[in-house]
Amino acid sequence: MAGSPGQRVRRLGTSMAALAAVKGEGEPGGQAALGGQAAGAPLLEVSGLRVRFRSRGGVVHAVQGISFAVEPGQTIAIIGESGSGKTVSAYAMMGLLPRTAQVTGSIRFRGVEVVGLDERQLQEHRGRNVAMVFQNPERSLNPTMKVGSQITEAIRRHLQLSRQQAHERAIELLRMVRIPAPERRFHEYAHQLSGGMRQRVVIAIALACEPALLIADEATTALDVTTQAQIMDLLLDLQQQLGTALVMISHDLALAATYAEEIMVMYAGRIVERASAGDLFGSVRMPYTRALLDAIPRAEMEPHVLLPVVGGRPPDMLTIPPGCSFAPRCPDAQQDCTQAVPPLQEHEAGHWWACWHPCQSGQGGQGGQKEAGR
Amino acid sequence: MAAPVASLALGLPDPGSAAPQRQSRRPGMLRSLEITIPGAILLVLLFFCFIWPLVYPVPSPTYGSVLNADLPMWSPGHIFGTTNVGYDNMARILYGGRTTFEVAVAVQAIGLIVGGLLGVVAGYAGGIVEATAMRVLDVLIAFPSLVLILVIADSLGQSELHVIWALSAFSIPATARVARAGTLRLRDQPFVVAARLSSVRTWRIISGHIVPNLIPQLLTFSMLGSGIVIVIESGLDFLGYGIPDPAPSWGGMIAYGQTVMSVSLSPLLVPSLFLFGTVVCLNLVGDGLRSRWGVR
Amino acid sequence: MIPVSSPAGAGAAPAPAGDVLLEVRNLVQEFVLRDYGGAKGGVLQAVSDVSFELRSGETLGIVGETGSGKSTLARSVIQSPPPTHGSVIFQGRNLVGLSRRAMKPARRNMQMVFQDPFTSLDPKWAISRIVEEPLIAYGLGSRRDRRERVNSLLDRVGIDPASYGRRHPRELSGGQAQRVAIARALVLEPKLILCDEPVSSLDVLVQAQVLNLFEKLRSELALSYLFIAHDLALVKQVSDRVAVMYLGKLCEIGPVRDIYRAPLHPYTLALLNSIPAPSPRAGKSRESSVISGELPSPLDPPSGCRFRTRCPRAQERCAAQVPELRPLGAGGHLVACHFPLSDGSAPPANSKARAEIAGIVRR
Repeated sequence: MAGSPGQRVRRLGTSMAALAAVKGEGEPGGQAALGGQAAGAPLLEVSGLRVRFRSRGGVVHAVQGISFAVEPGQTIAIIGESGSGKTVSAYAMMGLLPRTAQVTGSIRFRGVEVVGLDERQLQEHRGRNVAMVFQNPERSLNPTMKVGSQITEAIRRHLQLSRQQAHERAIELLRMVRIPAPERRFHEYAHQLSGGMRQRVVIAIALACEPALLIADEATTALDVTTQAQIMDLLLDLQQQLGTALVMISHDLALAATYAEEIMVMYAGRIVERASAGDLFGSVRMPYTRALLDAIPRAEMEPHVLLPVVGGRPPDMLTIPPGCSFAPRCPDAQQDCTQAVPPLQEHEAGHWWACWHPCQSGQGGQGGQKEAGR
Repeated sequence: MAAPVASLALGLPDPGSAAPQRQSRRPGMLRSLEITIPGAILLVLLFFCFIWPLVYPVPSPTYGSVLNADLPMWSPGHIFGTTNVGYDNMARILYGGRTTFEVAVAVQAIGLIVGGLLGVVAGYAGGIVEATAMRVLDVLIAFPSLVLILVIADSLGQSELHVIWALSAFSIPATARVARAGTLRLRDQPFVVAARLSSVRTWRIISGHIVPNLIPQLLTFSMLGSGIVIVIESGLDFLGYGIPDPAPSWGGMIAYGQTVMSVSLSPLLVPSLFLFGTVVCLNLVGDGLRSRWGVR
Repeated sequence: MIPVSSPAGAGAAPAPAGDVLLEVRNLVQEFVLRDYGGAKGGVLQAVSDVSFELRSGETLGIVGETGSGKSTLARSVIQSPPPTHGSVIFQGRNLVGLSRRAMKPARRNMQMVFQDPFTSLDPKWAISRIVEEPLIAYGLGSRRDRRERVNSLLDRVGIDPASYGRRHPRELSGGQAQRVAIARALVLEPKLILCDEPVSSLDVLVQAQVLNLFEKLRSELALSYLFIAHDLALVKQVSDRVAVMYLGKLCEIGPVRDIYRAPLHPYTLALLNSIPAPSPRAGKSRESSVISGELPSPLDPPSGCRFRTRCPRAQERCAAQVPELRPLGAGGHLVACHFPLSDGSAPPANSKARAEIAGIVRR
């Protein structure tokens, strides 16, 4: 099975270990297929990723050169609005972009380059190394197949297990995602389950082959807030249990703050700020991030107070104006902002930003204030 | 893993998010070849059938001298040859084409107007009105269409007009169904609810909101349906129920061509090719419009 | 000449609430589900015995999750479709059972903004025509008057009529299209606007812009809102009072500050605790006060209190008896619970109750 002996030991639960042993017997040299991994090396390394699409109106520059790394077991959030390029980046990491996409740059998973692999290699990569949970569980699940069969299908695609073993593992997975009465639920169809349960099934499918990296693309956006909290807690617990790294893609900065260790904010195809959750909220630097923070309605706020907003819209990704993409809307913009693109640099330890005139330290936006009365 | 919808990856608006609907200038319809080429062919055909004989002295399709009988293809003065009684085949193709198009347009127009109206009213009104209208139409649809048409055509007698009536018995219920389904879908759309909330009168809602949003669907349905109508009409002519001899019709010419097949193939092939070509072009245009307008 | 409201000072302070504008009593909305072949399959009671009132100039926020019936409630109030039972008294007249003609004057004063602007605006119509339509339906003003009014309204919501007037909804962004929908809702100068999750489909920054617009219009035009949302934090921004719904029933309703500082119903507390707070928690020691269990089927809701299957405080009485919505303490705070989180008179037992819930539901 994939992973060093150290990672195997980390898994809790005897049933998991037992199944792990079963899996180990069935596989043909999984480790070799993925390439060796030096201890301490990042799990996923993205450098200079650019994605362009040919569309009717011209060339869409969806992602304009992003670089970051994901360590094993880490929880990272990529935050952005529509059109920021966050979903396209996620698809690039999964190798799911259509052929019309021109991808340049590098995405290395455990040292192996993903960009440029052919479809067969990508199918190996997906599900084994990286798995994804999408926004709408209705669209991710086949309405004509039993949910359990969809899990076993994923299992048998990547692991050489017998039907019986796959069935057992599927039940185990359903239990792991906290679906009550898993033996019964195995035989049910997607429409018989609630939204939250469907999403749990999708998570079970994603984790079926114990990928080292899980990408959740707005996985909880379509769910109620109480269900969202349940699912996020589940994801984090599973992460701890399995040692999976999690990349959360969302527009919800508050969600990221609560659940992620490190947050990357994207705007117009670039990463504009990156910091640990504490640093981001304690001393936000990029005016765009501050605008996002200010725009979130808080339960602690007084009613009938106007939210501070910036006007305008994100840029059209067809034409790239010179300079910082946020400059046209930025309240702190100055002359040089429209001339050159500010590079993303680690200006402080663990806190990167791409801005010529960042906010002063100490200005924490609303997030820096202590919550009142709760 | 589930493959994503290509439009999602392109960053184009996902109904789940609120991405700005940037409608970059879509190239006009004329740029999509699947519509332009068959459309041009149809236009050329229409021109030759309807306008050309007004300008150029095309020989009469129903007058000829036995001296010119059975001339083969490419004969001077008779490009497609002549029939067994000396009628010019080219003229027969052109005038037969006229009939074909006239019938197709008339039948579809009747279907759109009568059937469309029926379907929209039934769909919007609901209740007993809808139930009654639909049951009546169901009776018509329940009959096998060809049999129904044959019966009507036979009882009415041979004539172009009667063929039109007979085929309308087929196009009216079919169009009504499509119109009703579309109306049901539109009736619950928020923009219609909003109009009701502003006390807009029913007929204005139907004419201003429902019908304009139905037009793409109904038009493509008509285009695709006209191919079927043409084939059925030619079938009627072939069987002898439709346009009476000696008036030209493609189906009739095919019937004749079948009888002389062993001697010469062109009297069979030429009208068949025209029929085939017309229907294919209509279907291509209809399909092209359907995918372009996103109609289901 | 169509009378145009003169803009009052755009202050943040809400106008004092006036007379009762809308009174909803014992509203019930049922849907009959049909099995194959049209046979009656089951009855879904989407809204179950809901009563509340709304005063002029006031905003009532209605919060609930999937299956709470909040959107159905809004549609019942506007009589589209009319409720199965109960009454909706708007400006003194009961709208239930009125013919369309009789409702026409009332409809002028009650308008609605829907969730998705791209389906609430006719895609084939130009923007100015969309906003003008209600004026034509009521026969107000000459053509020139109407144009003037449409343009001034579009300006007021932040859409330039000269550049956008002729465009179609598809050519606008989500935020712009929603502004057009708001302009249309305002064109008849209604007193009450029902907003059904009007910002849910918008991006964060745009959402804030549109929320601010709602707030500005509210104070400038002295409007009342019935503001429906699934997000408690969001609804607080525009509301004077907030109501919480669960599975078709009202759990709690009260002044906005009281609901947030001292919620009385366990479900309200669970909702509040489920909101991810935009401030970092040290490490991963977040409060695990998530609610457990799944939403019961609305076709077969639990007996007695519908929340009891997920409530940590549930007792036998909760299954036996449906809790009535009753006031606790002065101040217009009502709750439907046999064991509310405080008795209303004592200072908010927030932290204690919170710890209780948190402790019990922590896995």
